[in-house]
Amino acid sequence: MFEFIISHYNYWMYIGLMMVGFYAMMVKRNLVKKIIGMNIFQSAIILFYISTSVKKGASVPILEHAHEGHGAVAHAVDVMQYANPLPHVLMLTAIVVMVATMGVALAVAIMIYKRYHTLEEDEIIMAMKRG
Amino acid sequence: MKILSLMTVFLVGAALIYGTLDMPKWGDPQSPASTHVSPYYLNHSLEDTATPNVVTSVLADYRGYDTFGETVVIFTAGMACILLLKAGRKRRGNGHV
Repeated sequence: MFEFIISHYNYWMYIGLMMVGFYAMMVKRNLVKKIIGMNIFQSAIILFYISTSVKKGASVPILEHAHEGHGAVAHAVDVMQYANPLPHVLMLTAIVVMVATMGVALAVAIMIYKRYHTLEEDEIIMAMKRG
Repeated sequence: MKILSLMTVFLVGAALIYGTLDMPKWGDPQSPASTHVSPYYLNHSLEDTATPNVVTSVLADYRGYDTFGETVVIFTAGMACILLLKAGRKRRGNGHV
């Protein structure tokens, strides 16, 4: 039981982080707080994927002694020695998408503030209903 | 409303924690994520791309078109930001004049 907790609590940490972001997105009235909540949510997902790439005792996926054989001799690579590179690559893409959505969302928030002079969601809805 | 949202959050969290009970152990070298596809990239990336950094070779060689699309995404986002912020400035300037 104790060993199970030790080997799985990293996933639970990320789920907790995701719940913080999800709560901020749903409950908070301030638009900037919602955007930051979305950012926390995405960070939790990225951390989750990165944690699946870990191998115990493995190093970063940069091959050692790669340039000694001048490329021609493909020597056998010990797969257990290097961390899984694929989640790293995919999360690099996800980070780009995260930054892009964050930037556009903050720009839209600035536009909303210029129009309504508030970032509180209920006040904006009231102002929209008034016309 | 707040209670309902909190309940939704904890329901989703509980469902996800239930899902992690079947997940492989942290740092397990025999986990499915690191036994099926990734050994191919670790074994072949040097002879295919002559790049010791496997992350770079997957990003820029095997998935080159994906990275190109990624730059299109970030270019579009940057253009959207610039256009939004510029439009806001112009409208306010016109309003004052």
